[in-house]
Amino acid sequence: MPTHVLVARAALPFLVSLLLALLLHFGVARFLDDYDRGLVMSVGINIMLAVSLTMVNGFTGQFSIGHAGFLGVGGYVAGAVTYATSLKLYGDLETRGSMLSGTSLNVDPATLSWFGQGDLLFVASLLAGGCAAALIGYVVGLPSLRLRGDYLAIVTLGFGEIVRVLIQRTDKTAALQAWDRVHPGVPAPEGVSRVFAIENSVLDPATGLSQTTYTAVSDANWFEIAPRVGGSLGFSAVPDYTSIFWVVLFAGVTIAVASRIKRSTFGRAFLSIREDEIASEAMGVDTVRYKVRAFVIAAFFAGLAGGLFAHFKSMNPNEIGFARSFDIVIMVVLGGLGSISGASIAAIIVTLLPEWLRGLDQYRMIIWALALILMMIFRPQGLLGVREIWDKALWQGLVRFIKREKSSPKAGGGA
Amino acid sequence: MSTASRQQGGFVEQGFREMSVALAARGVSKSFGGLKAVQDFTLELPTGSLRGLIGPNGAGKTTVFNLLTGVYQPDVGVVELGGQSILGLRPSKIASLGMARTFQNIRLFGELSVLDNVKLACHVRAEQSMLGAILRTAFSRNEEAAIEAKARRLLQLFDLDDRRDEAGRNLPYGDQRRLEIARALATNPKVLLLDEPAAGMNPQEKLALRALIRRVRDEFGVTILLIEHDMGLVMDICEHITVLDHGAVISRGTPQQVQEDPKVIEAYLGVAEESEKQ
Repeated sequence: MPTHVLVARAALPFLVSLLLALLLHFGVARFLDDYDRGLVMSVGINIMLAVSLTMVNGFTGQFSIGHAGFLGVGGYVAGAVTYATSLKLYGDLETRGSMLSGTSLNVDPATLSWFGQGDLLFVASLLAGGCAAALIGYVVGLPSLRLRGDYLAIVTLGFGEIVRVLIQRTDKTAALQAWDRVHPGVPAPEGVSRVFAIENSVLDPATGLSQTTYTAVSDANWFEIAPRVGGSLGFSAVPDYTSIFWVVLFAGVTIAVASRIKRSTFGRAFLSIREDEIASEAMGVDTVRYKVRAFVIAAFFAGLAGGLFAHFKSMNPNEIGFARSFDIVIMVVLGGLGSISGASIAAIIVTLLPEWLRGLDQYRMIIWALALILMMIFRPQGLLGVREIWDKALWQGLVRFIKREKSSPKAGGGA
Repeated sequence: MSTASRQQGGFVEQGFREMSVALAARGVSKSFGGLKAVQDFTLELPTGSLRGLIGPNGAGKTTVFNLLTGVYQPDVGVVELGGQSILGLRPSKIASLGMARTFQNIRLFGELSVLDNVKLACHVRAEQSMLGAILRTAFSRNEEAAIEAKARRLLQLFDLDDRRDEAGRNLPYGDQRRLEIARALATNPKVLLLDEPAAGMNPQEKLALRALIRRVRDEFGVTILLIEHDMGLVMDICEHITVLDHGAVISRGTPQQVQEDPKVIEAYLGVAEESEKQ
């Protein structure tokens, strides 16, 4: 095959992601209201989280229930990078994006470029968040992946809670809040512009009272621009760069990377660990190394998803807690352990169904829980099992199943 | 010593003799608490040989396999693969150095297809990087194609190619045993350890297995050590047999010698007084 065909085929899934992202961003996003756009972005972020967790819980068969911790690490790091860099470089927290950014829909498109300085900052901060999460994933994974089953689950749960509690207890950084937050509506002192002042509380030894001084950010050094992590109030001062374009693009890349890994020799190595760790080791798969690898890759993509979340909604401890981790586990189990497309479909269902059931008011969570229980009784292997929606074997199995049901209608069971 | 003698060039025979031991265990012992599972076990497998390890139930045969493949570490003793000590190495590392095994209680990757079971075993020889696999570089693509071709060849040799898309756990028992051997061979082993390959097979399958094991040894040039309870099969195909009882070697020699050894007969059938007591 000629080289350019090979290159094109190698790049195909990434190009498809890009095209789909552009199509949805320019074609569909404009016709949605803010709420629906937010929903689409939530779906995309949840797909990233579910697909990345599939690599750990699905491929290698480990049971990690602290995935939201990586969302937190990535989100706060990416948010902090954008926050501090924006203040240092521009002196404010405006979005300097392009037609691709989240805020572009409220602006006359003619005034916008294709790719702005802000987009570069945004992508860089996302990668920083992803790498930070991957690093933490390595540190957590290296010792704990020697544990199995329940023990590993407890370690990952503990990790997620540590991240959440650390964030919740960051009141000291919250004290360094910017002027506009502490004194809303009060004019800033002379020479200090509204947003980029940093509040310093100093105890006056003479009076015993605290005195407040303000430093303009352009004079402050990098370390003084502490991000307004905001403890339990949330970290909301991150410019809103995230758009449907970025979410769909990164979700597409996540799916492409995960399925390329799954279909390669590395995917078989991961799956073999799930199937039989002893046999896998005997066949030459360094099981500890591969478990850590899966963990690090999953953490990286969860960190990216966190970055997208931070530039879209307010990061706060509730979003990265135990409940969120469980939502992600539900997506993975519902979709079928090991199925990338299954996890994606489940992520869509888990995100949208509670919204659609909103009309049922207080009964919706009961219906939701009931649906999950029924699912586990009648199809414990999840929607797609280990198969993918593009696998021929899945459809052949379905055809066989339907034929058998027709020929012997009384032979029940949901297998 | 071996390097020195090879460098001098005059001791080719000595160098050759040393090279020609594919796997050696010397004075290997292993206890689990108070139970001495294996005591002072010594075994040498000349390259290209086909040898057997037999003994009554609970004699410690599978423990020996686990000691040789790194699943357990011996308390004392040395295990060498191709003249290189493999003590302290993980089983995966030992597999990459050229030792493969099958399991007494079949350990296939049940949910994976028959083909993927074999393809997975090729992973240990794969040279592509994970980034290459994600970007689907030409190198990665070619290697995947080579893995597929190799796995298909092996499956054809083992008469399993027709069932390559079935899940491993759906195969009949005899086929699962043969798939395990095919999978082990896909790691390009120098030494192959077979743990009761004929268990659960019917007489026809056992006959076919005999021919297959010989063929594997001849075509792939691997050294084979097998544990087996089917004495007909062991006596027929093994050139040399080591007999284990209560963790210790009680006899070794050609099938003829072993069969006539009174200690072996005693171990298998018990002595008269003992059986009267029971």
